[in-house]
Amino acid sequence: MTRIWTVVLSVWAMLAIVAVLAWQSRPAPAPAQAAAQTLVVKTVNGKQQLVAVQPGALGAPHATTATSGVVRP
Amino acid sequence: MTPRLARTEWRAVGTTCAAAATASPGDGRRAERALTAARVEVEACEAELSRFRAGSDLSHLNASAGEWVAVGPRLLEALRLALRAREETGGAFDPTVLPALVAAGYDRSFEQLAERPAVRAEGWRPGAAIELDEAAGRARLEAGTAVDLGGIGKGYAATRALDAMRDAWPGLPGALVDLGGDLAVRGETPERGPWRIAVADPRRPGTTLGTLLLHGGGVATSGRDVRRFGPGGSLHHLIDPATGEPARPGPLAVTVVAPTVVEAEVHATALAISGAAEAVAHVAAHPRISGLYLPAAGGALPLGEPPLARTRVLVRAA
Repeated sequence: MTRIWTVVLSVWAMLAIVAVLAWQSRPAPAPAQAAAQTLVVKTVNGKQQLVAVQPGALGAPHATTATSGVVRP
Repeated sequence: MTPRLARTEWRAVGTTCAAAATASPGDGRRAERALTAARVEVEACEAELSRFRAGSDLSHLNASAGEWVAVGPRLLEALRLALRAREETGGAFDPTVLPALVAAGYDRSFEQLAERPAVRAEGWRPGAAIELDEAAGRARLEAGTAVDLGGIGKGYAATRALDAMRDAWPGLPGALVDLGGDLAVRGETPERGPWRIAVADPRRPGTTLGTLLLHGGGVATSGRDVRRFGPGGSLHHLIDPATGEPARPGPLAVTVVAPTVVEAEVHATALAISGAAEAVAHVAAHPRISGLYLPAAGGALPLGEPPLARTRVLVRAA
């Protein structure tokens, strides 16, 4: 009887170890895809187009163009 | 050894300025020298070209309209570029709108403006004469006129600053100069790709309309979304040379890409007082430029083929 219990416990212990190892070595979740920006543009003939832009593929901009603002002293 | 972007920022020409250089870790001193050269050049340009500095060459020239005045090489060259720009844009860009701008109320540095009603400039007309005597280093304005080199002056300063960086470091791999949104770029980025220039969306601060990819050249944005003044902020600084008053038609903002930042600035100024159809025709007649026109309401209108980062058209709607 003791031997049976030993085998049962050993099997459970082994399963527990396998489960822990499997949990630890699970694949890292894929990084979230950067949401594609959508640019609404109007063509020469007045129709509208939605243009997809891939920010993830671009990286951060080096600079930004805008109407020159005023720096208050 | 991964290159990085060495960068400096300072305040000049009434706005925030920045210069950046692509530099490897061993290039620290050379990059520093190039960045300092950019800063020194911008300050030298401001000292000659600013109408807000009483001692500048431009202030002397404006105060002595009708007489020949000795001016520095930077002002002489900037005036020559401004005259060429007036011709190229059929007068839509006119450096002699200053009396009209002052009459409208923009009569001092923007941060010092007092609110007062706009008046029409008495007797002002567009296209006033500017004579240059390059051999003698002097210039003469038609009596009664005055010059403002605001936008084109910034573009010119950015170009010179980029040249100064290259002179300070002949092996400079790539560089960017940003004078309050007027940008000149050249060479490689640290990632060895194009320069990524975001176009700000004035309707939603903090967001962008898109990203331009440039291997060289200039970008400028002009608009009526900032620098508003007069009663209730009802006026803006974009004078239509045809009327001598702040322009009525025109976009909220327009961004232009051109081989040089001076060209970008000149055409952005011209397009900023143009209706959409007129803007499309203007760019079609100037194939060296492209842009993005943002009307007060509705979607952005590409002018020509701006080098926007885009993948594919998703939807085409009538």
